[in-house]
Amino acid sequence: MATMPPEPERYRDQVAALQCALDSGDAAGFRLAFDALSAQMDVGLLPELKRITATAQSALARFSAEARLDTLAGHEVPDARKRLTHVVNLTDEAAHRTMDLVDGCGPLVDEAARGSAMLLESWDAYGDRDLAIASLWPERAAMFLERTRADSDVLRSNLSELLLAQGYQDITGQIIRSVIALVDELENVLGKLVQIADGNEVTSLVRSLPAKPDWERGLGPQVAGIESTDAMSGQDDIDALLSQMAAGK
Amino acid sequence: MSNPVKFLVVDDFSTMRRIVKNLLQELGYNDITEADDGNTALPLLKAGSFDVLITDWNMPGMPGIDLLKAVRADAKLAKLPVLMLTAEAKREQIVEAVQAGASGYVIKPFTAVTLKEKLDKMLASRAAA
Repeated sequence: MATMPPEPERYRDQVAALQCALDSGDAAGFRLAFDALSAQMDVGLLPELKRITATAQSALARFSAEARLDTLAGHEVPDARKRLTHVVNLTDEAAHRTMDLVDGCGPLVDEAARGSAMLLESWDAYGDRDLAIASLWPERAAMFLERTRADSDVLRSNLSELLLAQGYQDITGQIIRSVIALVDELENVLGKLVQIADGNEVTSLVRSLPAKPDWERGLGPQVAGIESTDAMSGQDDIDALLSQMAAGK
Repeated sequence: MSNPVKFLVVDDFSTMRRIVKNLLQELGYNDITEADDGNTALPLLKAGSFDVLITDWNMPGMPGIDLLKAVRADAKLAKLPVLMLTAEAKREQIVEAVQAGASGYVIKPFTAVTLKEKLDKMLASRAAA
């Protein structure tokens, strides 16, 4: 645009050709000169038009990205927080339910062991001709069998309940997947906004975020496949490090 | 069966506290108190006469590493055996914990055998001291 002469000077040649064709009565020449003038006027308008269109497009894109971000931030992220809290509660309940059932099985197994020990004692006494204890055999055997039959029902039912208590995995898995999808979309929308803003506003925003997670407070469990340059791979690794440190002291 | 060793188990998840408590009971230790972070644990430690502290690292409120440092800074508690039982696995964290005075470090998920082994070792060196 800088090289172009200012209006109306830039149209001088086309107007002169137009005047000439008019004076000489040259209809075809007039038509040509008129088109040339019109084309010259378009050249002047085009860059401005392009600029306006681009601004309008980016405003529209920004508006739709911001509107989506608004919904995400206003509703879907808080919802996701509630969903994840629900996951924590479900896993907590399932773990306690499982431990309740295991606790319920413990005494039954102990009782079976105690009954078997008493039976064995009578059995051995029979071999040793210790009739006082050996004579307890029928009574002990009947008690043991009855008790074992009843306890087996409880054990079987606890085992089924244990199996059912694992059903949380299906529900929590679905919830976590939906939150992963939300994170994907957030990434997408934020990426678009960064593009539109040309990085200017966003870089200052990013700079104000904390640089690194604070490992003094704890980082949580290591997850396979996520960058963890100096993570120990297990107890053996840690034990090796500890004895290495102890030796270095 | 009962063993007069007094435990304080600190973890923000009640399920983990329960797992550790059950394992300790299976090992014959029945005197077990629970706390859900460093802030609730520290007053208990100062008030009671605990023999062993088992603590998680990552907890809201006061994290385990700060609890460990507070214990070591307290003249009365300075010699208390402290077992870190945590999912924190970074090398620098383990180094930090040992330098802060951790008596043992068990990584989650852990086995009953590992827990028993580390406890036995800690209690043996306590008896020797």
